[in-house]
Amino acid sequence: MTESLNVTVDRRDGLAVIYTEGYINNQGGEEIARVAYKLIEEGFRVLLLNLGGTKIVNSIGISILIEIIEKMIEIDGRLGFCCLTPTIEKTFHIMGLAQYAPIFSDESTAVAQLRS
Amino acid sequence: MSGREAAGLPSEAWGELLALAQDDLGERPLVERLLALWCAAHGAHAAALYLDWKGGLECVGTHGAGFPLELDEVARTAVEVGVPFETGMDRMSAGSLRLPGGCLLAAPPAALAGGAADPLPLLLAAALKSLRLKLELKDQQFQVNYRVVELEALYDVGLAVAGTLDLDRLSEEILLRAVSLLDARRGALYVLEEGRYRLERTFGGEAGRWFAADDPALSAFLEGGEEAPAPAALLPGARHLFGVPIRFENIPRGMLVMGDKESRRGVGPFLPGDRRTLGLFANQAAIALENARLHLRALEQERLEGEMHLAAEIQRRILPKGAPVVPGFELAGWNRPAREVGGDYYDLFTTHGGRVGLVVGDVSGKGMPAALMVSTLHSALRLLLDQTEFGPALLERLNRHILESSMPNKFITMLLAEVNPRIGVLRYLNAGHNPGFLLRAASGQVDELPSGGVPLGLLPGSRYAMREMAIAPGDLLCLYSDGITEAESAAEEELGNARLIDLLRAHRERPLPEVLQAIQDAVGEFTAGRPQGDDQTLVLLRREAV
Repeated sequence: MTESLNVTVDRRDGLAVIYTEGYINNQGGEEIARVAYKLIEEGFRVLLLNLGGTKIVNSIGISILIEIIEKMIEIDGRLGFCCLTPTIEKTFHIMGLAQYAPIFSDESTAVAQLRS
Repeated sequence: MSGREAAGLPSEAWGELLALAQDDLGERPLVERLLALWCAAHGAHAAALYLDWKGGLECVGTHGAGFPLELDEVARTAVEVGVPFETGMDRMSAGSLRLPGGCLLAAPPAALAGGAADPLPLLLAAALKSLRLKLELKDQQFQVNYRVVELEALYDVGLAVAGTLDLDRLSEEILLRAVSLLDARRGALYVLEEGRYRLERTFGGEAGRWFAADDPALSAFLEGGEEAPAPAALLPGARHLFGVPIRFENIPRGMLVMGDKESRRGVGPFLPGDRRTLGLFANQAAIALENARLHLRALEQERLEGEMHLAAEIQRRILPKGAPVVPGFELAGWNRPAREVGGDYYDLFTTHGGRVGLVVGDVSGKGMPAALMVSTLHSALRLLLDQTEFGPALLERLNRHILESSMPNKFITMLLAEVNPRIGVLRYLNAGHNPGFLLRAASGQVDELPSGGVPLGLLPGSRYAMREMAIAPGDLLCLYSDGITEAESAAEEELGNARLIDLLRAHRERPLPEVLQAIQDAVGEFTAGRPQGDDQTLVLLRREAV
């Protein structure tokens, strides 16, 4: 079981995929935010968060993800999530994240939809 | 006041501010415009507005560069006492002006000195109030939504009662959800086994592997939460610990322990409401865990039963299928284990020289360990009988073999006999077994076959005495295990040697299978249906009457 969060990025022609592995808590959320804001500074306006390696997220992590969504709305960008566990997907729906950031079952569908 | 100004601001500035106030984008662009106007009016290079929020000062807008998003401890203290300080970014000096609900920072500090009637601080304070209300509303909405997540988690764990019987997966699900629900950084799930809490799963770091269930410190911790100090080894390194027992039908089954509650500013103690949340969660988890545990036990039981069936089949194959045919003699044997497999052993066979071999053995203990020793005894005895002359040396070698291949404190009593049918002579070796009985046809008297050495596997270098006696026509030999003579009645009285001998006398002239059946029936009547406490074995040999 991975407890600290590892974040990796795949930059693809205007779209960046952020892969997470581990706990999205305060520290994990801050790390995702740091990476996301850096990508925004680099000029990326479409971000995909692939949470396939994450089994657990807490309320602090969710609040940070909401801030990233707000930031993307502010810059007129697009953010999506993919590969969520059923528990995390349910949580995102309840917490309202899915209202502003679409959730996809797999990465290829997400990339195609976010580019369209 | 000129027609182009109101309260010190040009009318176009008012128009712009009103437009921003009505914009859906919210207060932040308005705040940034107000700060720009303030800098222009006061000769400041940069300014920032901070909101008092959850014990800190959070930046809600800036003009110019150099102010951090959050003030460090030094800056916050300087704001409180109203002295200039370095912002920490670009080593810029700043001064502060306290406003209701927050503060205004400006660089250089001199920009805050003096000042004529100015509507901007009032407008900034109003913006702060509006921002605070918006954040509070957002926070409330977040909290309400998260309560729904908590309820959903309780519901989902309830569903898992029916859906997940895999104990490993279930324990992971329970721990992850508990850690997530309580915003904990660390956690551990323990299950109660044999008076100890065993670590089933941990999250976020090491945890103690075992704790005595009756440890008073642990009990106080589980009942009292953070007020009672946790055992040091529970979650080493965690600053704030909190745990609840997992009880099923009011019987402790385990415990859930959480470490270090997270906030945006780091970790801190858990909240009073967390105990109730985790307690409710633990109740649901207890049912799920109990269900999975019972399922696991049923599977294990099924596996063990399968192995026992196999062992019983092997043991049945070890015991003789029938008695050898020996002219002038009748032979019969019978065995009934107390459990599916037993520790009694008997065999009837003929040797190379046409002699008849009889053996009854009794391994200490019952069940599978005893059955394994029976198997060892059978193999070793058959090999030795092929290689060694009947006599004390045979038993001494068997004793060495049993001693080397058995667990400590395990032993076998055994009576091994050999009959030469041609001359009617019986020779026997008794290693600590119950005495055999030879019922004489002529006199009705009984000659015993007493022990001539200690049980096998007990001592190295044991010696055994071989004895010999004649068998006359009509004489009946009975070898047995103590499961026959020590069978107990409802009054806890043993059947005893005398009753067995009486039975032999009473049925001595009947065919041997009928004698065996008569003894079985008599033992059954004597015990009056009480559960069989020990394995029962009988071996009979009779020299036909002339």
